[in-house]
Amino acid sequence: MTDDNILEVRDIHTFIGQFHILEGVSVSVPKGSITVLLGRNGAGKTTTLRSILGLTPPRTGTILFNGTPINGRRAFAVAKLGIGYVPEHRAVFKDLTVRENLQIAQRDRADLERKADFIFELFPDLKRLYQLSAGNLSGGQQQMLAVARALVPENQLLLIDEPSEGLAPVLIEQLMHAIRTLAARTTVLLVEQNFRMASQLADRYTIIDDGQTVASGSMPDLVRDDALIQRYLGVA
Amino acid sequence: MQRNYLIVAVIAAGLLVFAFVTASSVGNFGITLMSGLFQGMLLFLVASGLSIIFGLMDVLNLAQGSYFMVGAYVSYSFHHSPEMMTVIPNPDLRFLMAVLVAVGIGALLGGILERGLLRPLYARPIFQIVLTFGVSLVLLEAVKFIWSTTPYSWTELFAFREGFFELFGQRFSTYRLFVIAMGFALIIAIALLLQRTRIGIIIRAGVEDSEMVEALGVNVRAVFTLMFTLGCAVAAFGGAIAAPFLGASTSMANTFLLPAVAVVVLGGLGSYIGTAISSVLLGLAVAVVANFVSSPAINQPVWQSLTPMILLILVLLVRPSGLFGKGS
Amino acid sequence: MMQPTRSGWRGALIANWFYLLIAVGLAFLPQIIGLITGDSPFGVRGRPIGQSIFWQGVLIEVFLLAVLAMSYNLLFGFTGVISFGHALFFGAGGYVIGLALEYTELGPELSVIVGVIIALVVSAGLALLIGLASLRLRGVYFAVFTLAVAELFFIFFGRLPLTFAEDGFSITDLPTWIDPIRNRLGFYYIALVLMIVTFLFLRRLIYSPTGAVMLAIRENEERAKTIGYNTLRYKLIAIMIAGMLAALAGILQALFTKKVGPELLGLTYTIDPLLMTIIGGAGTFAGPVVGATGIHLTDRLLRDREIIIGATTIDIGASWALILGILFIIVVLVLPQGIVGTWNRWRAARQAQTTPPPPPSARNQRAIETPAAKSNP
Repeated sequence: MTDDNILEVRDIHTFIGQFHILEGVSVSVPKGSITVLLGRNGAGKTTTLRSILGLTPPRTGTILFNGTPINGRRAFAVAKLGIGYVPEHRAVFKDLTVRENLQIAQRDRADLERKADFIFELFPDLKRLYQLSAGNLSGGQQQMLAVARALVPENQLLLIDEPSEGLAPVLIEQLMHAIRTLAARTTVLLVEQNFRMASQLADRYTIIDDGQTVASGSMPDLVRDDALIQRYLGVA
Repeated sequence: MQRNYLIVAVIAAGLLVFAFVTASSVGNFGITLMSGLFQGMLLFLVASGLSIIFGLMDVLNLAQGSYFMVGAYVSYSFHHSPEMMTVIPNPDLRFLMAVLVAVGIGALLGGILERGLLRPLYARPIFQIVLTFGVSLVLLEAVKFIWSTTPYSWTELFAFREGFFELFGQRFSTYRLFVIAMGFALIIAIALLLQRTRIGIIIRAGVEDSEMVEALGVNVRAVFTLMFTLGCAVAAFGGAIAAPFLGASTSMANTFLLPAVAVVVLGGLGSYIGTAISSVLLGLAVAVVANFVSSPAINQPVWQSLTPMILLILVLLVRPSGLFGKGS
Repeated sequence: MMQPTRSGWRGALIANWFYLLIAVGLAFLPQIIGLITGDSPFGVRGRPIGQSIFWQGVLIEVFLLAVLAMSYNLLFGFTGVISFGHALFFGAGGYVIGLALEYTELGPELSVIVGVIIALVVSAGLALLIGLASLRLRGVYFAVFTLAVAELFFIFFGRLPLTFAEDGFSITDLPTWIDPIRNRLGFYYIALVLMIVTFLFLRRLIYSPTGAVMLAIRENEERAKTIGYNTLRYKLIAIMIAGMLAALAGILQALFTKKVGPELLGLTYTIDPLLMTIIGGAGTFAGPVVGATGIHLTDRLLRDREIIIGATTIDIGASWALILGILFIIVVLVLPQGIVGTWNRWRAARQAQTTPPPPPSARNQRAIETPAAKSNP
């Protein structure tokens, strides 16, 4: 199965300061899939994404991207391999315009022209707001921009952290549509608290609890497994 | 945003009116303005590097004043060295070369400091203050070792330092005008760099969240090194072009560091335009107050030295994040 | 997590034995030096000279700097307030005691007592006013604000004719019991007691509920506010206590040198405690004392020495500042938590190796604690 996995995280341990946050996380992300990381608040989902990217480098364990180990590389080098990151809390650059927010993600000069049409098709609002500074955008628009920013270069994998957090239901629908459209051309590793949204979007799941991977499998299996859901996610 | 400019306009207008009312003549008014702009620009040359470095990397570089000092010494000795006088007999050209050499040495020392010493410390910003303080001590001692502690005053004349022009019955120095022009040119050049280039976008984004910039595939550390080098080079440039006026002395480092820190905070951390505007404001304020309090009728020169502190305290009490700072 | 480590009463006892030993050692040091060198701790031939007197002087300076650094540590290390204007309180103490002694007709005894009281009131008042500004000013803005206020006073007193501007004035008439010339040993004990009392007081304070809130402010002021603490009040308490302690150090400094001048308000007395705290270990109890001792002793020992290697003579006195600068750079690069902080960490790591890891249920608890919560010796 390794051959089909674009990303393979094997038993990583990550420390923040002296605190052992990840104590053995393993995640497999098949090429072309939408995989979701589930778990309670503080379980280590965000740290897992940050460890993959090298923002909080794991102390031990292996991370394979397209079969090549990438742990130990600096974050910018990992990103350049083709991994896009949409952090939580809509971390767009508020002092920059929408256009500049997209420009900064370019890896060569043509990136933005090549992708602009696709981005505006997904998020029509952004075209109208192109020259506005991102700080003036609404929360939903900022989230769209954060996703759009990860689409500018030709990324093979997108790491998306809690995209639905604090969004109105109608915006969540729009976002889900966008992520589904994306999944047709790229692979997505998603962190999502909203179980309904996660279950509708994802093909596969991995549950992290207390810094450890406790379960993973295909999404339809999880939906049927009430006990597992109750135990680790606390939703009925 | 509009309110910032309103406050700046009010302060500036107040200063100008005060300067005009207290001036003894139109010529005196002109000299006060010129002297204020001159002081403001010298301040900006130290503060601009400080501002960008602090905004982007959260490093309060206490060695910034030392680069200014080193720039002055290098420019002085290059211009006055007997060898260089034979190699480049034309004094104007020699001065130009002296400035370039000073900038080069400033950049080199800045790059070494960032690459060699600061890099391991980005996770511990408070320690960087201690480190840059240590570096400022080392640079000061190195300067004392090479040039001794005796201050130098500029003796080798060159044409455009000596130039004067007359206006309103007063003689104005063309060299001061040149320094002011260089200051404005630098303000505009850095503003263009920040607004119009990709590196500018990266810097402005990095001021907000450098980790996210890195996560987008930008080698932020390389940008840090570049900007640190540039900031130190600019400070050395300031020292080099100030030397024909101020000479070179070991006290230059600290004389300019404190007001430069004040100006960066006054303008608002991370705001480049704030630093530029508050440099000019502070320079003007000091010159205007100096002209007023040193007149025979008042004769209280202490207020001239107190002006930067009072201005800073008042502005911070009204605007806790400086003139152009974010949030409160 | 705010309690002293009582995991083993024996460990706590040993730690306190260590401090006790140092205190006793310092109490008898003048006599010991006197015995070794033959120079009486009271001076030689009725004059304040000799090895014991010299070393008393050096240690008095160390004690006063240690008090100043500890007071700074209360702000910087424990409450997380960065101030660049600490010299203001130090100088205020010096100027008030000097003015009380030289500009009033109270007589030396009463002047000292009144001077100390007024100095404490003045420094607390200044601290309160500056602290109120912290209601609006955060982080570096507050730091530079305090710098501006301190510099304001520095320049003002440097030009004030009443106090002889930058020359300052001398303290001429002191009661014998606190006169560093006539009664150096007495002064030594006063400074030593001030240092020990400050140390114990700060430890008591930090382990009190008030101290717990200060630590909470250091870790995350917004969170402390959310929990319902009036953080401004606790910051004011910290600033006022730190200000008064610094003023006490300043009083003794002025009395020790018998001289009051603007240098007491100068940047040196802000930068010194800052460096001593960071190098010794910010947020630890012993750190500022270790930092003050280390830096000041190296300063005094190296300043006037020459090293002779073969035919070359290296005058350390001339390159003293160079050595100090390099020392700062090395310590900062090698000891990430300062001397005491790094030592604590190293010890904690060793203890963690020898004791079994906590049960899984405790793991969550650990992760919730703030990463910077330190265990203090």
